[in-house]
Amino acid sequence: MKINRWVSLVLGIGLISSVVLVYFYVSQRDFTKNHREFLISINNLENINADLTTLILENSLYAYNNQDPVSSSVQELLKEYKDLKNTKILKDKNYEVIKVRLFILDRQLEENVQNIQNYQMLNAGVKNSLLFLTRHVENLGLMLEGDKSSLAYSKVFVESVKILKHFNNAKQMLDMDYVDNYKYLLEASAKEIEIQEFVKNFNTHSEFLTKKYPSFLIATKEILQNNIHKDIEQIRENFSKIAINDFKALDIFAFILFSVFILSLITIVVLFIKYLRENKQLTKTKESLEHSLTYDHLTDLYNRRTLELELENIEAPHLLLINIDRFKYINDIYGNDVGNQVLKDIANLITIHVGDEYRAKVYRLGGDEYGVLFSKILEDKALQIADILEREITNHHFHVEDLTLQVLVSIASNNIYPIIENADMALKLIKKDYTKRVLAYKENLNIKKSVQENMDTIELIKSAIEDDRIVPFFQPIVNLQTSKIEKYEALVRLKLEDGTFLPPFRFLDTSKKTRYYRDITRIMIEKTLETLKDYPSYRFSINISMTDILDDEIVTILLTSLENNKSVASRFDIELLESENLQDISKVQDFIKKLTAFGSKILIDDFGSGYSNFSYFSDIDVDIIKIDGSITKEITSSERKLHMLKSIYEFTKGMNMTNVAEFVETREMAVLLKEIGVKYAQGYYFSQPLEKPLESDDITI
Amino acid sequence: MFNFILFVLLVVINVNAKEPILPIPLENNFNEEKARLGMALFSDPILSKDNSTACISCHNIYEGGADRRIVSLGYANKKGNIQSPTVLNAKYNFKQFWNGRANNLIEQADGPINNPAEHNMDAKTVEDRINKSQIYKENFKKAYGVTYIPYKLVLAAIVEFENALTTPNAKFDKFLRNEIELSPDEKEGYKLFKQYGCVTCHNGVNIGGNSFQKMGTFLEYKSDIRYPDRSKITNNDEHINVFKVPTLRNINLTPPYFHDGSAKTLKEAITKMSRHNLGVKFSDKQADKIILFLKTLDGEKPKILDSK
Repeated sequence: MKINRWVSLVLGIGLISSVVLVYFYVSQRDFTKNHREFLISINNLENINADLTTLILENSLYAYNNQDPVSSSVQELLKEYKDLKNTKILKDKNYEVIKVRLFILDRQLEENVQNIQNYQMLNAGVKNSLLFLTRHVENLGLMLEGDKSSLAYSKVFVESVKILKHFNNAKQMLDMDYVDNYKYLLEASAKEIEIQEFVKNFNTHSEFLTKKYPSFLIATKEILQNNIHKDIEQIRENFSKIAINDFKALDIFAFILFSVFILSLITIVVLFIKYLRENKQLTKTKESLEHSLTYDHLTDLYNRRTLELELENIEAPHLLLINIDRFKYINDIYGNDVGNQVLKDIANLITIHVGDEYRAKVYRLGGDEYGVLFSKILEDKALQIADILEREITNHHFHVEDLTLQVLVSIASNNIYPIIENADMALKLIKKDYTKRVLAYKENLNIKKSVQENMDTIELIKSAIEDDRIVPFFQPIVNLQTSKIEKYEALVRLKLEDGTFLPPFRFLDTSKKTRYYRDITRIMIEKTLETLKDYPSYRFSINISMTDILDDEIVTILLTSLENNKSVASRFDIELLESENLQDISKVQDFIKKLTAFGSKILIDDFGSGYSNFSYFSDIDVDIIKIDGSITKEITSSERKLHMLKSIYEFTKGMNMTNVAEFVETREMAVLLKEIGVKYAQGYYFSQPLEKPLESDDITI
Repeated sequence: MFNFILFVLLVVINVNAKEPILPIPLENNFNEEKARLGMALFSDPILSKDNSTACISCHNIYEGGADRRIVSLGYANKKGNIQSPTVLNAKYNFKQFWNGRANNLIEQADGPINNPAEHNMDAKTVEDRINKSQIYKENFKKAYGVTYIPYKLVLAAIVEFENALTTPNAKFDKFLRNEIELSPDEKEGYKLFKQYGCVTCHNGVNIGGNSFQKMGTFLEYKSDIRYPDRSKITNNDEHINVFKVPTLRNINLTPPYFHDGSAKTLKEAITKMSRHNLGVKFSDKQADKIILFLKTLDGEKPKILDSK
């Protein structure tokens, strides 16, 4: 987009400057042409004028002379002036002054032509008379050479030569002084008729010359000293002054044009460089994008997408899916850098041990998951490689920074479509069975079925919640000493559409993986609290796991419900189910404190099984211990279990806690428990969980 | 001693080494087709109002290109006011007419056509008449590529013809080109022509026709207000009796002489001219020699007139 704008900008500038350039070129050319035309014309005029002056000089110098050049020069001069006057540049307003000056020049030229014509006439007469006198004196001289060398002849001759010389000088020097104040006539005193004739003719011409000489001189000088040359010079100077301004304007224009040109050139270069750089970057980005489309950036193995594409084309695929066990802990404990290094090392290990033999490709499929894809490999061979990989990775000591780490891996092997999904399922199975590290997927693994069941269960839960079919069942808890029902344990049931009820083990675990779990908990709390109101003589308890307490939302639901039902809250107890890892004990303490403030009591459920731990009794205020069914069930048959029960009883007694025995199924058990001193009991002997609490609180032991 | 003085004088006078007269160029550029068209027009009396007068009426190109009458007769036998000058070699004149009022032949040709005493025509009528003629229309189309003949092309054609009217290869021209020798008398005549200053005005290709001079420079010549002299153009009294110097080419064929036709023979003309303009009186012998020289100026008939 940005580039496009640049390109159109450059194109725009280019176009404009092209147009301007053409305009400039044309106007510049026209101007230069017109300017030159004028100068050439005026130079011609000057030259012709100079030639004409020379011709006139020649004409005055030579006795006889061809005057054709003079007349043609005059014609040329007038024609050139006309051309000059019509030069194109004078149409420009700026040159108006020149036109005015030309008008003056025109008058000068006209005058000059008149002068020349005038001069030609005077010159002819003067010259002819001079020629005559010369011829006349020459003839007299010839006579003197003959026999007529008398003094009178000589005297006239000498006088006539003097005068002739004078006229000649005057003509040559063009000076008035040569003819002024002097009598250029011969004395007509001789008696000889020949001399008289000579003197008469001589004097006629001498008089003529004396008369004509001044005007001849003026005419000659006027021509030779005309101002045309100066005028032309002046006009040219004026013209140049104006033209210089025009040229300056042209210069500035040219400079601007040149600048624009250079500017657009630079822009183009910059643009080009930018384009090259961007192109390079683009190629790089493209390459890296292509790379990241195909490869995993951390390990440089192929990525999941590549595997998926490969699977579409490959024949007889066989996938090994390798997962690092509990890799999350490495990241949590040592940090991501160490984790990443381990991932890279494992990638290398896999690549090395798979080798080139089967043209297998190695992939990194997720955070801690790798894949090795074979084509047309025997299943046994694939499993063999999986075994090698498992062994090599498990036995490998990863040296990262100062640490030495070891990891466990699980490897699923599969060649049955859908390849990845089936491998995944096999891997999940391995995770459940710690004894297995490598497993090949088989159709009969039945994993898929459970997945389908899960989906069905979730669907079931969803509709049950929507139709209000999550209900509590109540199992009485009997005071063995008084044979009275004092409490009920609320147990969740899912009522199916046919009216039958599903026990929690059929749906509760599945629900825990969904958001519906919270809804179920909420429904149980609310419905139990409702029941509480109807049965004011009993206490009621519901089951909450310690992990539930860590869920703020569930805690909020519970506390809010109790707050809203304060009148009955003091009869609402919680049966805490121990969890594997109770990390935030303070959160549990806080919860218990808030509950006991309502008057609720805290029960520990299933004590004596699984992760039962004495340690937190020091931190948590527990009111009642529920002894796990696995112990109670066998007290009549196993001395050990009886002893365990007794120990728990003694412990709770010492801790000032009450206890409840679960799973009481026979009278024998009930009697025995009563004898030992266990305060409460519950189980099928007394009653199975019921839709509603019993009307009577009496129980027969 | 006298010889020495003479020598000095001659040097001072500075006689030109180059001859002041030039031969008529042998090469003459004109468009044959246009010139022939011009020749037809030149001889065609339709260019005068009453169909009486053609150019040729007063410029007989077969006899010196001028008129033997003192003044020509034109439209309705009206008399002209000046002796008809020759049309031959007119292109070498610096101006046209006796008083030089036309700067070129085109301007000149326009004159007589419009002159009430000559053709008494106008441009419009000329165009009308010429454009009615099928032959002219065809010929103009061929020569100028026009379908309608404008007046200015009529003039142009006539001028093209006049451009063809040159008379090269006069005996004197051949002498100038060193092709032949003149007879001693002719040579003597030429020498006198130069020595006494005739050549001062009569020089160049046309031996005249390149400057204005006063008739009677030395000795006043009788003036008559009727003659269209230079003063009629310049309004300058000093220009009374000033005329364009006439050409001396074919002078033998173009009597009578001068603007007023007052000299019927060359001898008369020389006598008058030497008296009024040179202050010289030639002896009979000298005059005869000059006449011999002048006769060498007769040139060849223009080639365009040979073939009809």
